[in-house]
Amino acid sequence: MNQTPYSTESTDLIGRWQRGLGWLLLILSPIFAWLVVNAPTDAVQGTMQKILYVHPPLAYGAYLGFVVTAIGGGLFLKNGQEHHDQLAIAGAEVGTLFCSLMLITGPIWARGAWGPGNWWVWDARLTLTLLLWFVYLAYLLLRSFTEGEERTARFASIYGILGVVLIPLNYWIIDLVGGRAQHPENIQSGSLGEGMGLPFLFGNLTLFIAFAYLLVLRWRVGVSRGDSERRALEKEISD
Amino acid sequence: MKIAWALLRKDLTTEFRSRDRLIAMLVFSLLVIVVFQFAWPPMEPAETLRFAPGVLWVTYLFSAVIGLGRTFVMELENDAMTALALAPGTRGWIFAGKAASTWILISVVQAMTALAFTLFFRVDLSARVLDSALIVALANVSICSVGTLLSAMSVRSRFRDVLLPVLLIPTLIPVLTAAVQGSAATFAGEALPFDALQLLIVIAGIYSILGFLLFEYVLDE
Repeated sequence: MNQTPYSTESTDLIGRWQRGLGWLLLILSPIFAWLVVNAPTDAVQGTMQKILYVHPPLAYGAYLGFVVTAIGGGLFLKNGQEHHDQLAIAGAEVGTLFCSLMLITGPIWARGAWGPGNWWVWDARLTLTLLLWFVYLAYLLLRSFTEGEERTARFASIYGILGVVLIPLNYWIIDLVGGRAQHPENIQSGSLGEGMGLPFLFGNLTLFIAFAYLLVLRWRVGVSRGDSERRALEKEISD
Repeated sequence: MKIAWALLRKDLTTEFRSRDRLIAMLVFSLLVIVVFQFAWPPMEPAETLRFAPGVLWVTYLFSAVIGLGRTFVMELENDAMTALALAPGTRGWIFAGKAASTWILISVVQAMTALAFTLFFRVDLSARVLDSALIVALANVSICSVGTLLSAMSVRSRFRDVLLPVLLIPTLIPVLTAAVQGSAATFAGEALPFDALQLLIVIAGIYSILGFLLFEYVLDE
């Protein structure tokens, strides 16, 4: 039986990363939870303000997913190696998860902050983020509707690159229509109340590690699945 | 470069002889406009003018999706797609030829649609016609370049008719937003808004370069 040494080696390396990130996540999560519980309660918004500790980090994850998908896609187009395509899938799926969670946590906060019934407003930033979510869905649909593994990978890579180009264009549109009225501006230094900085920092760190862990996990599953399929095929041929 | 010219001429000749795509797009556009007439409350022409940019661009976009969906269908017959892939030279030029023929086609349909809109709703869109045309021309570059790229992909997938709009429309929202803003200004007789124009030029540039480069990977080996 002929094994492909390259991918086995890389699976091992990915596996080591996955374990390391898993442990780190296990240590960080309780600290983060403790910090959030003990963070000072906002005078105006109350407990609900604590969504702030997860919502922006989720947004960063959603954007990061796009970047990973585009990088994986670009590398696949250049070298044609399957594990790069698997990285792109991992980026898209974890990105979709983060983007969905961001779109869920946002309205929960908004209903409290903007008054009852205000789950959603057609503010430019909200609308364009929703659009990015649709791009993710379109990417996943493209993958499932295209036939042939190699072709699927190629087409998805192209769409992944288009998707990442769309992010700066969307931000430009937000400026053009001047719709920053409802959604708060990005966090700037000093805009957080006293005692809120540390949990916010930990939120970013923990969710970044969670993103990386899930990404690597999904990547490893994809690569291993490809490997085992190839091995089964080779075994069948040699029998 | 020669491939682009050859494809452009071929596409326009077949279109001129059959007029399939042109008629389909035009009838569809007119229908959409008629549907809008039923969809909104009765209003004065002056009020209609406020809605004109949005309604027109939605119509343009949907009819462009119909036209783009057919771009490569013809090439599937007799496996002309493989012949295209085997053609010597940079594949980007195949993209350029296809995008250019679609650009001409949808521009013709849009001009007729705008004319019909003017007649149906008795609104005057003639203020700054050249500026309005410039906006449409620029936006069409983006629509055709990203549309040609995605159409070549979706045409060989299952559910191609559904997949193309799902892939295409999210990527065109920035174009649509800028175009609607630009058209709103020119229809009202104001000067071309620089922001929107700038955005349209940049997107047209980015999308055509991306399309040219990425088309290399769309055709099968």
